[in-house]
Order: sequence, then C-alpha cells, then structure tokens
Amino acid sequence: MNDGSVKILDGNTFVVSDARGDIEASLTDPTGLFSYDTRFLSKWVLTINGERMNPLSVDDLEYFESRFFLVPGTGTVYVDAKLSVIRRRAVGNGFHEDLTILNHADKAADLTVRLEAGCDFADLFEVKDALKKKGAYSTHVKNGKLVLAYARGTFARSTAISSSQRARVDKDGLTFKIRVGPHGKWRTQLAVVTEGLGAEESEREEPAKAQRRMRKGLERWIEQAPRLECDSEPLQATYRRSLVDLAALRFSPRIAGGRSLPAAGLPWFMTMFGRDSILTSLQALPFTSELAATTLRALGDWQGVGIDDFRDEDPGRILHEMRYGELTAFEERPHSPYYGSADATPLFVVLLDEYERWTGDRGLVRELEVEARAALNWIDEHADLQGTGYVWYERRNQKTGLENQCWKDSWDSISFRDGRIPGFPRATCELQGYAYDAKLRGARLARLVWKDPAFAERLEQDAAELKRRFNRDFWVEDGEYFALALDPDGAQVDALTSNNGHLLWSGIVDKSKAKTVAAHLLGPRLFSGWGVRTLAEGEGRYNPIGYHVGTIWPFDNSFVAWGLRRYGFKDEAAVIAAGILDAAEFFEGRLPEAFGGYDRSQTMYPVQYPTACSPQAWSTGAPLLFLRTMLGLEPQGENLVVDAALPSTIGHLELLDIPGRWGRVDAFGRGRVDVGRRA
Amino acid sequence: MRERTKPRTDPIAEFFAELGRRGHEPLLAKAKGSARFDIAAGKRTERWRLTIDRGDLRVSRQNAGADCVLRVDRPTFERAVKGKLNLMAAALRGELTMVGDARLLVLLQRLFPRPSRRRR
Repeated sequence: MNDGSVKILDGNTFVVSDARGDIEASLTDPTGLFSYDTRFLSKWVLTINGERMNPLSVDDLEYFESRFFLVPGTGTVYVDAKLSVIRRRAVGNGFHEDLTILNHADKAADLTVRLEAGCDFADLFEVKDALKKKGAYSTHVKNGKLVLAYARGTFARSTAISSSQRARVDKDGLTFKIRVGPHGKWRTQLAVVTEGLGAEESEREEPAKAQRRMRKGLERWIEQAPRLECDSEPLQATYRRSLVDLAALRFSPRIAGGRSLPAAGLPWFMTMFGRDSILTSLQALPFTSELAATTLRALGDWQGVGIDDFRDEDPGRILHEMRYGELTAFEERPHSPYYGSADATPLFVVLLDEYERWTGDRGLVRELEVEARAALNWIDEHADLQGTGYVWYERRNQKTGLENQCWKDSWDSISFRDGRIPGFPRATCELQGYAYDAKLRGARLARLVWKDPAFAERLEQDAAELKRRFNRDFWVEDGEYFALALDPDGAQVDALTSNNGHLLWSGIVDKSKAKTVAAHLLGPRLFSGWGVRTLAEGEGRYNPIGYHVGTIWPFDNSFVAWGLRRYGFKDEAAVIAAGILDAAEFFEGRLPEAFGGYDRSQTMYPVQYPTACSPQAWSTGAPLLFLRTMLGLEPQGENLVVDAALPSTIGHLELLDIPGRWGRVDAFGRGRVDVGRRA
Repeated sequence: MRERTKPRTDPIAEFFAELGRRGHEPLLAKAKGSARFDIAAGKRTERWRLTIDRGDLRVSRQNAGADCVLRVDRPTFERAVKGKLNLMAAALRGELTMVGDARLLVLLQRLFPRPSRRRR
C-alpha cells in the first residue's frame, strides 16, 4: 500500500499498522484499531527480550486479514535470525491476532514476550482535526483480561484484550515468560474486542466464522461480477483490484439487514455518505446492482422529514454523512446524520431510475415512491433559496456545517477566473444538471411505475424550462463554456472547470453548445494527458496539487467521459478513459482519490495527492464506469445495447456475463481509437 | 428550560394520544411492525406500544413483546417528544438504548418533531 502502512478492514472496523504490525498512533495520525469512528487501540507494540521487530515481509492475504513475517532486532545490523515471528491478524469485533514464535536454534530459548497496549479513544474527527478529549480514562485488569476504558457521562467505550496463553497482565500490556524448545514453536491467540457500540454481545460472531463469512462473501462477489478478458494486462489487474476494493469498502449498516452499500473510503470515510454511496453505486451498476438497491433503501430510510438547522435537514433531503463517534454523540458535530449536501437529493432520483433501467426492478421504485417524490419536491421547495428556479446552497449550521455542499467541498473550490471567492448562497452548475436529470428520470418513473402522468408532465415541463434558463444564465459568452456557479447576485462565477463534463452527463447542455464544451474538456487547459483537471490551468486559483483547484479526480473523469459519450463524443471519452487507466498502472490498479494536475509530458507519472484517501470508493468505481463508457453499454427496453469505442492501446476486450433485466449478456470490442497525445 | 415536577399535561401521554388520533402516517407507509417504549420514571416503568401496519398507527399500553424496544428515562423522552432531542445522537451517547429491528427504529424517528426552525 502506497504509504507503507498495512490496512485491514471489515465494514467500518479497520486496523492500520506499520509493516511490523505495530501501532504507535499520535493524535493526528490515523493508525490504530477503529470501529464506528472511534479509535479502540492506539498502541500495540510487540517486543521480545526488549527488542522491537524487524519486518521481513507482509502478506496482505485478503482485505480483512494480513500476515507479518518478522525477526527480532532493529534491522540496522545484519540480522541473525535464530527466531522468527509471525503475526496473523484478522478484523472482526475488533481484531484477532495469532502470534507464533519459531526457534530455529538447537538450544531452547528463554524469552520475554511483551505486548504494550494503550488507547486514546479518539473520535476520527479528533484525529482529523487534532482535538482534545473531555472524558475520563480508566484501565483495569480482570480475569486475565486487560480492559481499557473511556467514559464521558453515559457515553462509554472500552477495549478488552485477552490471550489464549496465560499472560502476566498489567495496565500497560501483557507479558509472556516462555521457553521455546530447540526447533520448537510457541503460539498464542490474542483478542482485542471493542465494546460500547455496534453488535450486542449475543449478536457477535465467532472470529473463525466471521473470517469464513468474509472469505465466502468475497469469492461470491468476484464470481458474480462480469468476467473481463482483454489483451491489456494492466487493465485486467485494475479491474480485479477494483472489484476486490469495492468488496472491501462495502459497509452493512444495521438497518440494511445484512445487505451492503459502498462506504466512501479508508481511512476517514468508512461510513454512509449520500453522494459517494450514490455515485459509486451508479458506477458499479453494470457489474452489480446490489449496492444501488441497498444505498437507495438506506438513504430513503434516513431521508429528512423536518427542519433542523443544526443538521441542515429539510423534508425530502437525502443525507450527506453519518457518523457514530463521540463528537457526533455530544452534538459537537452534526453528523447524526448531517444533511448538508445539495446534490445527493437529485442524484437519489437519478440512481433510482438508472437502477430500474438496468434491473427492471419496479418493486423498489414502488417501494420508494414516497421518498422519490419527496426528493423531487425538495428541489423546488427547499433548494431554490433565491426563488430563481435553481438549486442553491447555504449552510444554516454556520459553525460546523459544510460551506460547499457540492462534491468540490473544500473552502476554495468555487472561484471566479481572477480567484475571487463568491458569497452565499451559491448555485453550482452541476447541481442544475442533476436537478434537470432527476426531473426527467422522475417523470419516466411517474409514468411507468407510479401511474401519474400529470406529475410526469409537470416534471418534464419544469425540466425543459430549467434547461432553457440554464443555457442562457450559465453560458460564459467570451469563453464558450458553462460557468462554475452563480453568485448570490446571479452573476456568473466564471472559472473553467471539469464540472462542464457533469453537465454533459446530465443532458442539460444544448446540442449546439456541446461541441465547444467537449473541446474545452479535451483542451490543454483542462486535459493534462492523464485526465481532466478539476480547475483549468491559467485560472486564478489553479494549483496542480490543490485539492479541488487543479488536481485530477479519477471519479470526476469517469463521469466526464460518460457525459462525452452521451453527446456522441465517443473518441473523446476513450481518450479520457485511456489516460486515467494508464495512470492506474502507476498505482498498481488502485486509483487514488486524486492526483496532481501536472502535464503528462512534464512528470511522466501521475503524482499522488498527499493526503488522499485510498482505497476510495468512487475512485475504485471509476474503472468500472470507464468500461461501461468505452463499451457503450446502454440498457434499451429489455436489451443491452453495446457500441464500443475503445482506445487502440487496449486491443481486444470482452466483458462477459453482464447482469441485468436481460439475464446475462456479453459485450465485445476492439481498440480502434487513436489516443496519442493531444497537443 | 425548567422541568416542572408535576406537569399539568403530560407531554408523553399527549404524544402517544396524538399518534393514536392521527391513525395514519404516510411517512411510515412502508413500515410494518411493533415498537415498545419502556420509559423509566423513578422505580416505575411506563410502557407504550405502537403498532404500524403500512402507515396505520395503533397505540396501546400493552406490555407485550415487540419488534423493537426503546428504553429511556422520562426526562430524556420528554425532550424527544418536544423536538429537543435527536434520538440517534442520544443513542450514541448511551442516553437511550434501542434493540431489535434496526430499520423500524430508523423509520420511527420520523414520528418525532425536529428541534429547530429554519433561519434565513
């Protein structure tokens, strides 16, 4: 893994350690055992006779299990390995670790094996923002168990550490005084169990059973996904990596009855996100529809029903983010859940329609009629803050709410050409596209499933009107592209951005304008050779390593390419797909959240953005959506239409057993699009 | 907010009475099941039982099994019925416990008033 740390996970429980398997977390450092956004172990250090371990190799067997091969000693001098140590660790109710010590000498070895343990019970938000704790810690030893605990009023979390071999347990860890015979072996099983939230004692799974479940689940997941056969080995590797990572990022909220939806990303975002879960489900639809169904149900269940300024909740609004940690519990953060997202609500309707187009599952469309109507109503009744017929956002929670409620959510992401930042409320352009698309798709569902043609007609009229206004108000005449946003006075926030690609995806762009928009997306200011930059080179705030002001986001590009394809720019879509898939090779098939916007000819390799999440769900989903786009997969009635336009670098490609309302079908293509560097 | 020791009207009884009068709640149109609220008042526990059948609500004081059970003390639950308590946050704090059908519990939150008005 890119930063040398080893990560294993199951749902929202995960362990991040160094290559020795040790954990020595500082407050600002996301290593340790985390569950439900709380750190349950921040120190876990193995020594033998006072010596730290030296890593020989790490085996990431599966995403939920890893094995560390170690020898005692610091590694600064030649290691005379008379002992070797294997730590095999798997997640589940915390984690379980098998510790094995092998004596390779002819003589018995007397050893003091020590595991130092400690915990700060930090909320992930505290780790992210380096905040101080308000509760009290305690540690006690009971029946050979070490229990680390934290309490703040009725809020209580604890970690219980125990061992299958007898240990001397003190408040800082476990000590084993052991003798390992000549060529002998010693083994113990350590359990680190989280308590205070999540599964009840009675619902807990045996570790061996949990591992079997996870292994079986992963096998089934891979088995049920379409098979990719192609000449390009790197593409095959990327595809395989994407499937496995997406499986890892599946998250089963307790309300989903064992079904899963995609969490946003490791380490910060192992939780339910409106936007990320929806967009990832969209990317994955041609490969699996389970994620979409669960996402729709779970987000529907949590849909806003009233006005709550602290949570930026409105009736009909789809949540932005759910959290379970201490700061959320004490309402120092609004994530229980927080609703401050202006795109998740229209995208909810978009996903519901796209899901039906692929699966033919009208049952779910009927089941979610109330929620889908409420979402459509939110667009008109609660999002049009200026009364101008657009979706606007401005947080009502001024303290801990989100300023930018679109996918580019950092503080400086929305700017004019000259770098000025507009006031609030803001109406970013892609939100209007999503709203337009939601209305048209809502109309289709209203006619087809809800049997309400009058509602459908009204939605279509609204959409047509929105499109007309949008092409007038957002079109930057002297640049011939769409403005990033409107400011509170209705003036164009005129920077050139990748958002133009999302507009193509939504279909809101007038046909007559599409060609120049496509030319911008593939032009030198936006296209780096690897992909489309979030913000064009030459704009006031452009910075090739600025989070939303110059970096390249694989997920963003996957939707840009889909948009190009929608307007018939097949070759252009293939060029972008080729660029990002080339970049994936440099990350061993695991695309990061974002990488640098430097020109391809300048760096020769994609530079990873420093603190990017990895794996991240919608980056993981990007290669899947690129495959759909390159193959031109499109459900039409009961059939799947295939119309491939593949980069010549890919050669022959087959995607076999694509699931959908047609059963399973195969798609074939041969690379014909010349994707040689564009000047 | 000062807590009155002997409220003239009981907001909890009023909350359930209103649900009974409402009869049907479209926001719960897809919910089916039963929920019991065990409300601790000193040494006593008041029990309210709500059944939901495709949005049709029925309230009773029956002490019978249910698909999900919410346990909470009286002052905390009073805040909830007045729209001054977020159930999810309270559950994370350990101020109330919820067991059983998790999806039904999520949907039940729709019956509780929200804490604040829109400021704009």
